[in-house]
Amino acid sequence: MKTQSLGSIRKSFAPWADPSEKPLIRFENVTKTFDGFTAVDDLSLDIYTREFFALLGASGCGKSTLLRMLAGFERPTKGRIVLDGEDLTGIPPYRRPVNMMFQSYALFPHMSVAKNIAFGLKQDGMAKSEREDRIAEVLKLVKMERFANRKPDQLSGGQQQRVALARSLAKRPKVLLLDEPLGALDKKLREETQFELTDLQYDLGMTFIMVTHDQEEAMTMADRIAVMDQGHIRQIGTPPEIYEAPSSRFVADFVGSVNIFEGKVAKKTGERVTLETPSGGVIEADNGGAAEAGSTAWYAVRPEKLIISAEPLDGPNVFSGEVWEIAYIGDMTLFHLKLDDGSILRVSMVNRARSSPLQLTWHERAWASFAPDAGLVLVR
Amino acid sequence: MNKGWTGFNIASVVIGFAFLYLPIVILVIYSFNASQLVTVWGGFSTRWYGQLFSNRGLLDAAWVTLRVGLLSATVATILGTLAAVALTRYTRFRGRVLFTGMVYAPLVMPEVITGLSLLLLFVAIDFDRGFWTVTLAHVTFSMCFVAVVVQSRLLSFDRSLEEAAMDLGATPARTFLFVTLPVVWPAVIAGWMLAFTLSLDDLVIASFTSGPGATTLPMKIYSQVRLGVTPEINAVCTILVGLVTLGVITATLVNKRREVKKSREGELAMA
Repeated sequence: MKTQSLGSIRKSFAPWADPSEKPLIRFENVTKTFDGFTAVDDLSLDIYTREFFALLGASGCGKSTLLRMLAGFERPTKGRIVLDGEDLTGIPPYRRPVNMMFQSYALFPHMSVAKNIAFGLKQDGMAKSEREDRIAEVLKLVKMERFANRKPDQLSGGQQQRVALARSLAKRPKVLLLDEPLGALDKKLREETQFELTDLQYDLGMTFIMVTHDQEEAMTMADRIAVMDQGHIRQIGTPPEIYEAPSSRFVADFVGSVNIFEGKVAKKTGERVTLETPSGGVIEADNGGAAEAGSTAWYAVRPEKLIISAEPLDGPNVFSGEVWEIAYIGDMTLFHLKLDDGSILRVSMVNRARSSPLQLTWHERAWASFAPDAGLVLVR
Repeated sequence: MNKGWTGFNIASVVIGFAFLYLPIVILVIYSFNASQLVTVWGGFSTRWYGQLFSNRGLLDAAWVTLRVGLLSATVATILGTLAAVALTRYTRFRGRVLFTGMVYAPLVMPEVITGLSLLLLFVAIDFDRGFWTVTLAHVTFSMCFVAVVVQSRLLSFDRSLEEAAMDLGATPARTFLFVTLPVVWPAVIAGWMLAFTLSLDDLVIASFTSGPGATTLPMKIYSQVRLGVTPEINAVCTILVGLVTLGVITATLVNKRREVKKSREGELAMA
């Protein structure tokens, strides 16, 4: 993997890049099989204190199994998990210093909000007065003070989500596990809650590990993202790294939208390579250090990195085709160009002005181009 | 929607309900018959009810039935609930299908066979027949009814509730006691009531497994009826019908009230 200056959004927070930093959680060669099906395959992963870490993947990729092994609901078939220097193997869920917020919230229906939060504290034998202080504290944190005596079924979905969060925070765990924490909320509420949760994590200085299938959610909230597929981690990185420097076609395609050209490396001079596509197109690409002359490689470029025009364009990497689809989304317009070899090229254009000078319509000829450094060459 | 009553509809309802309730209505009416003869109406009277309470045999039988019912229903509920938990929770142990089938077998087993086999067992191990044997027999056959009721509730139970409890530090035993049991409690109560009712009106199994001094009410009624139906028996049966009706009405009202409360709370949450 080549390194670009695609750092963390939170400046100066990058414990994973510091070799002297000790990880809080270590997954060491963890494998989990269920009746012959391998959910997690020989996976190793380090997560650091105060990190907001996201496990991103489609359903069935093993991300939830990984989280449940950390919580203690599943036992690794092979390998071990170490938390803060302590091997978690054989420690039951009720003795682990982690708490989980469940996708279904799992609020106890027969208990009030306050009793739900008190449940975990009671198991620790905390004194009543201290317990009440703690309940008030976490309810204030999630702005639910007024609802202490309500039962869960007297709350809306968003309120239940807050109570579930408060309950899992009440014991001040070393690590908070969030299983699709915003999955059941509607879009608007989800966007608001994303920022609240990030702020909360930052203010509390707690380590959060989140499982999600929603890339936008992962990108918005996490310091680092692990993209998972079939029990393996395909890439770990900060959101800009994952988006701008994907390590494989799988990651490039999974996160965001992308155009991928396949071609033979015809020429290579340092980082600069020339790809020849099967249909005779030529791509001049920077960032091609990993590709070998004569081999097959792929060039991945995001739709927003292309420009589109109704007139022929100059320079390298110009493609022309027929306007096949136009999607006006509001903040941007998405074009599908059908190239002469039949493939579709996606180009998006930000609508900076209220009316676009570009008057393109269906079935007209258009030209699109991108700079050599707009995308990157992938060899996997 | 057409709400008009057609002649056909009315006839259906009348015949249906008559089929179900006419025998009971007749029994209730004749329990207030002043005449000694069961089939001849001799005017209204409550004398049989009065006489009932001085009938030592019937009262003793009722007391036995009540004790057997309370005890066997309670034991059956505990065992049945545990069986249901085991069957829904541990889905991957060997012989689960066989075990499930075996728990449910008494549901379809002819009572005569259950009674006979229990009798043979008690004789074989030289267990004196009486109150305890009837109680044990009732536990045996009502336990599977409880297991069915509780299991159906457990199947729709959100397992993440138990995981959440353990995640918050509760041991498996505390999780069961403070989370699982309270949530499935209505099903457990329903199972208990079913077991109690089954025990209350069982004649066949009690006849096989009972001994001297442990005659249950159904046995007593049956033996008296063989000597001829007396208005006194009608009175006992009327009281039983009354008790059952009262129970059903109470259960319905409690349920209804909870539903109303729930829907009101639902509106509150929206506000």
